Amino acid sequence: MGSSIVSPANCFFSWGENQPPTTKQIEEEKGNFLGARVPGEPEAVGPTGLEDSALVAAVLRKDRKATAQFVDRYADSVYCYVRARLAPRYDQIEDLVQEVFLSTWENLTHYRGEGSLQAWVMGIARHKVEDYYRQRLRAPEPLDEADQDLPLPASAQEIHRFLEEDELRKKTWRVLADLPEQYRLALIWRYWEKASARDMAFKTGKTEKAIERLLARARAEFRERWNHGQ
Amino acid sequence: MVNDHDEQFMKGLADVKLPESQSAPASLKAKVYSALLRRQVESGSLASLTESALCGHELCVFEQIVRISPVGESTKSLNICRVCHARVLAEHLNNAPIYWSGCPYVDFKKS
Repeated sequence: MGSSIVSPANCFFSWGENQPPTTKQIEEEKGNFLGARVPGEPEAVGPTGLEDSALVAAVLRKDRKATAQFVDRYADSVYCYVRARLAPRYDQIEDLVQEVFLSTWENLTHYRGEGSLQAWVMGIARHKVEDYYRQRLRAPEPLDEADQDLPLPASAQEIHRFLEEDELRKKTWRVLADLPEQYRLALIWRYWEKASARDMAFKTGKTEKAIERLLARARAEFRERWNHGQ
Repeated sequence: MVNDHDEQFMKGLADVKLPESQSAPASLKAKVYSALLRRQVESGSLASLTESALCGHELCVFEQIVRISPVGESTKSLNICRVCHARVLAEHLNNAPIYWSGCPYVDFKKS
């Protein structure tokens, strides 16, 4: 581990085929996570008391107790984030969480302390999840024909009228969880992670048309399961 | 190809937040911690238990024994958790029967 320090915005992570995050991505990540720190704001202090920079320095010294604090401080956030995006593939969640932490260790010298450590760790989690999406969506698509004459869904406004927010959340999650994995990942990536079809195509090596077709099938399948009360 | 109804439907649902309020299982924290220590050891020794104690960290009873033993710092830098039953229990049970203070695996269970 060298001692060179660069900003999280331009550091290179060892994410396989992943590109280094762009400034836009970093800004989005900062906006997405409450841990982002603005200039002049006091440095984040975790529940166990060590400031971010002190914790990073101690982990880099391979202080086992600091490493335990590091895990304890960020494991919940990383786990929740990964779980929400991979469930119900529970067999994959733990491996991916572990990968996130190993990657943070490999890249910890690149943490400069300009943003909170939480935002930096979550940025790595976000890219690991995208790597997972990319790998899964590169696999051949299911062959079932989805351009069927399905009943039209109720509008979102109607849905909100008839279902309480909590019920809506549960039903959405249940339907998503029951979808074939490629459909589920494509929908979460597109609508919850707000990735464009073009971006998804670029990252998976597919054409934009292929991604649009996949999304269309995924939406249709989602709609069918939604309307049939699964 | 794009069905506008489907598109609007999904965009409307995207306001529904994905569930993100669960704590990581203690066994997962234990596995992650063990994996990190293993990875750290690959590039050289850990900081010695003497250094950890000087930094104000609480050591577990087994670590204390090693720390006060008449052995060199290199021995005190070994990852002794690797051979501890607490690690094995914590990696496999979310509520492992381990209770002594100063042990990260016990702390994961409490948090």
